[in-house]
Amino acid sequence: MRLSEIKPGTKVKIVRMAEAPPVLKRRLLDMGVLSGEPLLVERMAPLGDPIEIKIKGYRLSLRREEAEKILVEVIP
Amino acid sequence: MREEIVIAVAGNPNTGKTTLINALAGTRLRVGNWPGVTVEKKEAQLEMNGIKIRLVDLPGTYSLSPFSLEELIARDFLVREKPDVVLNVVDATNLERNLYLTLQLLETGRPVVLVLNMYDEALRKGLRIEVEKLSQLLKIPVIPTVAIKGDGLREALEAAIRVAREKPKPFLEYGQEMEKALSELENWLKHWNSFLPESIPLRWLAIKLLEGDPKVKEETGIQELPDLPSLRHLLSAHGEPGEILAEARYGVASGVVKECVHREGLRPDLSEKLDRILLHRYLGFPLFLAMMWLLFKLTFDLSSPFVDWLDQVVNTALAPTLARGLHFLSAPEWFQALILEGIVAGVGTVAVFIPVIAAMMFWITFLEGSGYLARAAFVMDRAMHTVGLHGKSFIPLLLGFGCNVPSVYATRVLESRRDRILTAFLAPFMSCGARLPVYVLFAGAFFAYRAGTVVWSLYLLGIGMALLLGLFLQKTLLKGEPGFLVMELPPYRLPRGKYLLIHTWEKTRHFVIKAGTYILVMSVAVWFLLNFPAGKGVEGSYLARLSRTIAPVFEPLGFGRWEAAASLITGVMAKEVVVSTLGEIYGAGAGETEAPPESIGRAWGEVLKALPRAFLEAGSNLLAGLYPVSLEPEPAQASLISKIRSTFTPLSAYSFMVFTLLYMPCMVFLAAFYAEFRSLRLTALLICLNLGLAYILALALYQTGRFLGYGG
Repeated sequence: MRLSEIKPGTKVKIVRMAEAPPVLKRRLLDMGVLSGEPLLVERMAPLGDPIEIKIKGYRLSLRREEAEKILVEVIP
Repeated sequence: MREEIVIAVAGNPNTGKTTLINALAGTRLRVGNWPGVTVEKKEAQLEMNGIKIRLVDLPGTYSLSPFSLEELIARDFLVREKPDVVLNVVDATNLERNLYLTLQLLETGRPVVLVLNMYDEALRKGLRIEVEKLSQLLKIPVIPTVAIKGDGLREALEAAIRVAREKPKPFLEYGQEMEKALSELENWLKHWNSFLPESIPLRWLAIKLLEGDPKVKEETGIQELPDLPSLRHLLSAHGEPGEILAEARYGVASGVVKECVHREGLRPDLSEKLDRILLHRYLGFPLFLAMMWLLFKLTFDLSSPFVDWLDQVVNTALAPTLARGLHFLSAPEWFQALILEGIVAGVGTVAVFIPVIAAMMFWITFLEGSGYLARAAFVMDRAMHTVGLHGKSFIPLLLGFGCNVPSVYATRVLESRRDRILTAFLAPFMSCGARLPVYVLFAGAFFAYRAGTVVWSLYLLGIGMALLLGLFLQKTLLKGEPGFLVMELPPYRLPRGKYLLIHTWEKTRHFVIKAGTYILVMSVAVWFLLNFPAGKGVEGSYLARLSRTIAPVFEPLGFGRWEAAASLITGVMAKEVVVSTLGEIYGAGAGETEAPPESIGRAWGEVLKALPRAFLEAGSNLLAGLYPVSLEPEPAQASLISKIRSTFTPLSAYSFMVFTLLYMPCMVFLAAFYAEFRSLRLTALLICLNLGLAYILALALYQTGRFLGYGG
């Protein structure tokens, strides 16, 4: 599944990153968005985009088109 | 021992790095630019225990990747200028992600002192950090600090000096496999008989090559990694080289955090609670709008009494004083006129912008420091992104409706240069307060009870044009420059007054010194155009001659008379000048010249008395609601209106208003734009785009109108 499809309040684990522009990929890596990392989809913005995730103990916001590049699986 | 120790200060955004720098440097802080770029550079010379220290603030970054200007500056300084020690400011409440940068700092081979800032907040949050252990694991000194209170800063500086003297070679292992590959790569690099950038640490080069860093590849000429057994092994086991190092660093960081940071009882997080309200599904947006309304009001209503006051100071006190002085010195008449009408007018122009820019900077810094700015971007991003803008762009554009000039400075809230340029390009399309007098005059003269609708249509037209231009610029000028969000939502914090004041002071100073110089030069130029050749009056001035030459160009737009052209030329000074120039030319303006004060001393006395009144007024503005702007032309303009009625038609008046809205940002905006982006090319492009757009639009409008039978 893609991170962009996950409902708020769901805990997921990053599987891997899909094809993405190098700049975006690097930025995500730098911010701790790594394979195997657990994260919580906190909420979406009032207008539906972007989304807020909690990862490595801090809050990060991503546009849906950016979250689309991140493949995840739901942690049961 | 060297005479001077160079200390670089590095850290993530939102770690209190700026507060720490300000506290350490105080008034000795010098703000400039990094050579050749517009990124701010702060430096200070200090002395401690008889040792000279040069403190250099590196841009706040999350990493040392080569994709942003800030990151490039930081890493170039570290690897090339080799500071004696790096003070790495980290947020103690968010250690793991902060350590990611710390590890990259260590990779450059520079000695590092870890400044564990916001230590008190971490304690309040229920985090227990084993400082000793942290220091042992990272093999660097760790100093807990609370920068806003000044706690621990002396210790941090002392640790930095100690480390700078010891010159340790910091080294942190990333695990066996990785180290083996790195050392083989280093060995291979040693024998690489090309022009390796001199004295750059080999380990750092090896790491960057493994990461596939395009900048280092280009500089070393090494495009492909060599076929080394350990490398092959590493890559086959872990996949993509770009990710291996990020994973290695975060692996170390999370391991260190697990050992040294203990959660003792979960305290409810204030940010969590606030976000539940401020980012609420349905409440979030109205609250955001309320917040923006407040920002607008606090910026413009609070500053407007001071704008009037400064205007009074310059015109009723400073100007007469200078006039008296020049007369006393029996200076030549042209010189008196130059000083009084050219230079004083320029000074006045700069002065009246000071309160606006200061108020704006104060509140923006407050929003940024409090953590709400990131939320505002979060709420607004979707709407802004549809036209290729960043959520944060909303704020500079909103302020543009008050005045476009503070917009330029407000673009600093954006991180990437691409977003900043795009936003600054669109800001002039937000119809500012100075254009309103022009609309009021023309709409009042021709559209009577429909004036409100006409004025409203112009505001909408501006916004519409901005949207179109935004889309256009992305496909052309800014093509290929990706914009993305990936933005931290930092914890809410209450910014300290001192911090806000320092920031406000820095930006205002920048405006006065940098933009002020250009403004002064331009106002002298306009004065010259208006007053020479001497003794010929406005009709015979260079301005009139110039206007007569270019007037035919405006014929197809419906206002080919030289008076209109002249008012547009002087209108570049400030859009409201369009009205006063027309008044002057038609001999109907004036009337508002204030009675000269009996004595200079009295004038200054009046000015002093007016200052407390300005404060009072600012206070009452704050309490009063949003009062409607009067769209009634002033009675004093009656004769000007009749003149205008005889030279314009409703259609050409509308065309003229459209042209005024779009044709060019005022010179104060241009000066600020140039001072901020330091690019003549961009400034020229901005002017051309605006002129072109205004011309095409007014032309299309007027000709269509005539075709439909509205024109006369």
